[in-house]
Formats: sequence, structure tokens, C-alpha cells
Amino acid sequence: MKLAVVVQRYGADLNGGAELHARYIAEHLARHTQVEVLTTCARDYITWRNELNPGLDIVNDIPVRRFPVSRERDVDDFGQRSTQVFEQRHSVAAELAWLRSEGPTSPALVNHLRRHRANYDYCIFFSFRYYHAYHGLRVTAGRSLLVPTAERDPALGLRIFAGSFRSVRALMYNSYEERALINAVSQNHSVPGVVVGIGSEVPTDPQPNRFRQVTGIAGPVIIYVGRIDENKGCRELFEYFRRYAWIAPTLTLVLIGKPVMPIPEHPQIRHLGFVSDQEKFDAMAAADLLVIPSYYESLSMVTLEAWALGRPVLANGQCDVLAGQCARSNAGLYYDSYEEFAETLHTILSQSALRRALGANGRTYFNTHYTWPVIERKYLTMLDRLERADQRNGGRAEPLPGWLGRRRRDLPPGRELVDQLPTGPASVTRTEEAGES
Amino acid sequence: MPAERSGRSSGGGATHDNNTMAEFKIHSDSVDVTRIMEQIRERIREKRGTDYTEQQIHELATVKLESVLDPGQVRSGLVEHFRQLDNPGRIEPIPPHGEFAQPPEVFDFDQETIYVSSRGPMGKLIRLIRKLLNPLLKLFFNPTPVVFALSRQAEINAWTVQLLQRQTDLIERVSTQFERVGKKFAVREELDALNYEVLNNLVVEMTRLSVDVKNHKMLVESVAGRLDFSERRSRALESVVQKQSPRPPDATESEGESADASATGSGRTRRRRRRSRRRPGGAANDGTNAARSTAGNGSAEATTAVDASGEAANEVASSGEAITTAAPSDVTTSAAATPSPTSTAPNSAADAAPTDPPPTIAPTSTAAPSPAPTADSTKPSRPDADNGTSEQ
Repeated sequence: MKLAVVVQRYGADLNGGAELHARYIAEHLARHTQVEVLTTCARDYITWRNELNPGLDIVNDIPVRRFPVSRERDVDDFGQRSTQVFEQRHSVAAELAWLRSEGPTSPALVNHLRRHRANYDYCIFFSFRYYHAYHGLRVTAGRSLLVPTAERDPALGLRIFAGSFRSVRALMYNSYEERALINAVSQNHSVPGVVVGIGSEVPTDPQPNRFRQVTGIAGPVIIYVGRIDENKGCRELFEYFRRYAWIAPTLTLVLIGKPVMPIPEHPQIRHLGFVSDQEKFDAMAAADLLVIPSYYESLSMVTLEAWALGRPVLANGQCDVLAGQCARSNAGLYYDSYEEFAETLHTILSQSALRRALGANGRTYFNTHYTWPVIERKYLTMLDRLERADQRNGGRAEPLPGWLGRRRRDLPPGRELVDQLPTGPASVTRTEEAGES
Repeated sequence: MPAERSGRSSGGGATHDNNTMAEFKIHSDSVDVTRIMEQIRERIREKRGTDYTEQQIHELATVKLESVLDPGQVRSGLVEHFRQLDNPGRIEPIPPHGEFAQPPEVFDFDQETIYVSSRGPMGKLIRLIRKLLNPLLKLFFNPTPVVFALSRQAEINAWTVQLLQRQTDLIERVSTQFERVGKKFAVREELDALNYEVLNNLVVEMTRLSVDVKNHKMLVESVAGRLDFSERRSRALESVVQKQSPRPPDATESEGESADASATGSGRTRRRRRRSRRRPGGAANDGTNAARSTAGNGSAEATTAVDASGEAANEVASSGEAITTAAPSDVTTSAAATPSPTSTAPNSAADAAPTDPPPTIAPTSTAAPSPAPTADSTKPSRPDADNGTSEQ
């Protein structure tokens, strides 16, 4: 069996969520089958500028075929088209124009897929919202799988993507909430899908004492790992923590990651900046809990790492995925307001038995659902299922409307559609969840 | 509005009392996050219930002493919260406004500017050529007013930039002041709310205390009445014990007196009951005043002759003790001491003081007929009648 992993960027030094996800999947599936990566020459996800050489490359023993991007992104044009399709009534043509503007516009990649699709048994596409995925899915509809990495953003409400979700052979979801969102927006219940997520490599012997010796931090610690960004909910986290710090003078908030917003000066907030993986895991092992203030996550890898280390998680309850995972795993609490933040934080910090139990549940949850053998088995099982199924039962690209139909402005704003989608954690029974594992 | 996939309560708004956080008893072997979150949210809702809204505070403040609330509702962490508020470090900073872009550099414009070239040595040549061709240029238009206007405009621009810079500095200073004032107001508002709450709690506590004080006053009066009764009773008993051993020579008279005493005792019992009701905390001599007021003019002469021990003895007799042969010598039984039809002696059980024991008449006393009232029973009493002798 030969697989093509199609992703917008690819490289050992690229740490974007979907890109890292794709690389991990490619490297782990390569142990079981032949894998080739198809991607662009871009490194920057804003401009899609061609920075890498086109042609065949090898990354961690995986063959990578790169294709040039025909045009860089015009930020102003993209902004205007985004406003048009997200906020106003628009047409299919406007959505397609928005997709071209977003990029990475690589007709060479799509042409390669069209010409050589027979060489691949299956093509696994990552990130539904990009040019390569939409057009690639259309030319490989009978043999395509999609890892949507969808969040609750207005792009999910665009009409063209609903067809993508219905035309693939299978969907590999990151979470039950993501599946619920996509099912609701595209009514693709008949398309096979499985909640997979991604595994993580976590050291078995992190040294929390080493972290405390190096940093000199004593007392309880809560830790945030990731980009320190307002879009990640960090401003709210800082505000809540500063209020809570009044009643917890020994508590320290440790931040690991690149700051793209000012970090408030506070004696109980410690920013460690970039650290090595070893230091990161030492810090996470030393922490009493991991806090995830983000509003939108399709899957939080650092959450899984915390659970792998037996650490509970305090998540933003407005993120459906995180709240749902906390509820299903019984390994973390979540908050919607400062009152809940303070109560949940106090509850975890003050009750060691609960903290240990949450951590143990997290470790169990990680071992059950997110170890690499489990992830690999899910992929292989799905591929095997598709192999045995009749290809005529699915995987046909839905035809686009005609010239006039594409220009008819009868589509609602994408944001309006997404706002009407159900919110909150998906209702999944333990049995159902165990069955998928 | 998006549909809810699962129930989720939203937060925000109420002040959180951090010092009274919940201690959830959760068994580690069966952690249920959904259940824990429900408990936490329930706890938060309960806490909000104890917080007064502004309207409630006003209502409670206007109610004053009419309502007594449960003092347990007073938040235990209120003072701590108050102290925390007093710390200026708690002030939430106002995010600074964005930095202004630097103004463009002022372009100096003079009469030579239109001829200048920036091409180095070549520029000098160009400038020279332009100068030479200046007369030719003036054939087409007059550049002098343009040069003047532009140079003047350059000066105006420089002046405007300077002015704007000053205004910017001023705005920054004013903004800083506004931020400080805003912070102060924010803290002040929260302090005001807390002050209202403290004041309200004080009013409630005062109300409760005032009602308690009233209750205690009534209790003290009641105890004093009982104490007065007990003292008189003990004195009567002492006197009975003293008079019991030497029997008086005139037994008939004694019997008559005892009968009278019994009868009088019955009457006195009723008077005592009235006295007790009217003057529950009165001293021993209050009995005379009460008798004077209750027996009327006719009976007052005799009743004023009755001292405290005599009254106590009669009360003992009325309570059924065997004193028919032990009439105290200082008791002057007379018709005037019996209830008079015109007297205002109590005639209903409702007049009896609640602290007095129920009157039980000795059998010997009840057999004795009451003496007929004298004709002078309505006469005003004289001070010299209080000599211990009977008018009979």
C-alpha cells in the first residue's frame, strides 16, 4: 500500500499544529506502509513564499515532494475576501476566490495529484481550509482521507467545504466535538469517520526537582505551555491569575513559549521563554497542573502531554474540545468565568487526593487513546476498512454549480452559519469512546 | 443563538469571595469531573445568593428595625476582602493607548529649493542651468508667489507639529491623570458597595440586639416579681414559725380572728394578685400602696395597718397552710379588710398576676362567713388609723 500525505507545509523544523501532526502521522505510518509526502515549497504560513527547493526531498527518512506556490498571499486582498465570505451574503465564486487568495495556491501540486493519483492507494489530506486540500480532494475523491483539523471558525461555514466533507472516503477527526461540528455543517453522517487525534512522545523519567533547582521556584506551580498570545486566551489567564494570586501568595504561574503579547510584571508570574523538550517536561512534571486558556483548539497536544505525565489540566470551558476531553477523561476541570477559575484551581491545588486522581485518570486516558500504537492502529484499521469496502459507495466529488450558479449570491455569511452550530462538549458515552479505541 | 449540546452555566458578574472557598469532599477513587463541576457551580450560585445587590442593600437599610435577619448571613470573609481592596496594587490597570506614529520631518522650503538637485556634482550643474533658465521660466508663470506660499506653509507646518507635540504631551498627562482617577473611582465604587454592605449588616445586628435587650428587660422584670413574692413568702413562713409556740389566751377570739384572717386572706390574695400584676417588681411596702388602691377608701384604714409580714401570713393562709390557730398578732382583722362592694378589689381571674400561685383557700377559712361590711367602708382612710388596732 502506498500513501500520500498531503499538507500545506512540511519540515522537521516546522512546528505548526497541522504540519507537526502530518509529520508525526507520516513517520509513524511509514513503519507499516510506503508513505510519500506531497507539500509546497513554503515555510511561512502567512505569505506562502517559496523558500524551499521544489522536487524530491528526504525528511527523517520520508520522501517529500515539494511543489512551488504560484503566487504569494496578498494580505489585503485576503482580508477583503474574508470579510466578504464571512460577514456578507456571497456566492460560490466568491468562496473559490477567497480560497485562491488564502493559498497556498499550488496548481502544480494539484496537477501532480491528478496525473499520479493512481500511484497512491490513499491520499491523506491535512487541514480542510487550504487550497491544496480542497482541490486535491476533488481530484482524488475516490481515494482520499481528510484530517480536517477544524475549529469553530467562520471558514467552516463556507459552502464549498461541506462538499469536501461529504466527498472524502473517510475522515480522521481530532475530537468528538470536531466531528459534531462537521457533521452539523455538512450532514456527512454517512461518511466513515473515526476520532483519532495524535500521539505524543513523552519521556518516562522527567525530573521535577531539577526544574525547581534550576528555577528556584518553591511552592505550588501552575504551568502554561504554548504561544503566549491573546488569541490563546492568555490575557484572560493573566487577569484571572492576578486576581487569584491575592489569596495564593505562594502560587507561581510558569510560562513556556514565545510571547507575542506583553507579559505582565508580577512576582508570581515566571516566563521561561524557549526551553528544550527536557526542560519543558521537567517543568510540566514539577507543576501541580497545566492550564489551557485557549478558546479554540481542535486538539491540544500539550494537554495530552500533561496527561501522559499524570498532571491534571485546567482548561477554558468555552473551548468545546477541551471541556469535552476533560469531562470524558475525568482528568481535568474547566472554567467559564473567574469564579469558576478560582474555585476549580483552588479545588485542584488544595486537594492532593483529587489532584492525584485526576492525573492518574489523565495518564490512563492518554494510554488508552493517544499512544502511538493506538493511533497507528486506528489509521491502519480505517485503511483496511476502506480497502475492503466498495469504492463505489463513496468518494465522488460533488459537481460545482454552473457558471451562473457559481455567481449567484445566495449563500449566507460563514460566521452566521457557524454561530448556529451546536456548542458545548459533545455527548459521547464511555462505551462509544472505548469502542472507537 | 447557538444550540447547547450540553448544559453549561455561564459565569461572571458577582464578586467572588475567595476566602470562603468550598472544600469539596471528593473521593479520589471515583472522580467524576462533570459532578465536580456541578458542585463547583452550585457552590458559586450559593455564594452569589449571599451577596446583596444594590437594591437589596437599600431595601434593608430602609427597613431598619422592622426585620431581623439571620446574622449567619454575614460574610465571614468580608473584612479580609475589604483589606484586600484597600491595597492599591489590586487596581486593574487601564491598557495604555497605542503609540502615536512619529510626525514626518519638517521639509525646509526656501527660494532655492525649486532649483536644488540631489545628484551631487551633476546637481550643481543642473542647478546652474535651472538658474540660467529662470528668466525663461518666468515667461510662463511667476514662481515667486509659489515659493513664498510653500515656504510659509513649511513654517506653518513646523509650528503645527510643535503645537501638536505639546498637545500630545498634554493629552498624555491628562490621560495619566484620568487613569489614576479612574482607578481610584473603580476602587471607590467597590469600597462603597462594601461599605453599604457593612452598614447594612450593622443595622441588622443592631436591630437584633435591640430586640434582645427588650426581651431581657422583660425577663428581668419577671424574675424580680418572682423574687419579691418569694421573699415575702419566706418572711411570712418565718413569722409563722415564731408565733406558733405561745398560744393566745382567747382561743375564741383567735378562732374568730383566724376565720377573719382566713377570710381576709382570701381577699388579700386577690389583692396580692392585683398588686403583683400592677407592680411586679415592687418592694414589700408596695403591698400597702396596692391595698390602698385596690381596697378602696373603706378598707384602706385596715389595709394600711397590715405590714408586710401580716400580708405574707395571709398569703400563706390563703395558700392552704394550717394557720387557723396561728394568727399573727399584728394582723388586725376587720370588716374594713374584707372586700367592699364599692371597693375596686379584683373580681375576675384575669386580674391575677401570672407570677402568683393559684389561690387555694383552706377548708377552715372557707367555712367562715365573711363579715358584713360597715357603713363607713367608703370613708376615706386616716393616717392615724395605721396603728394596728381594729375599729371594732
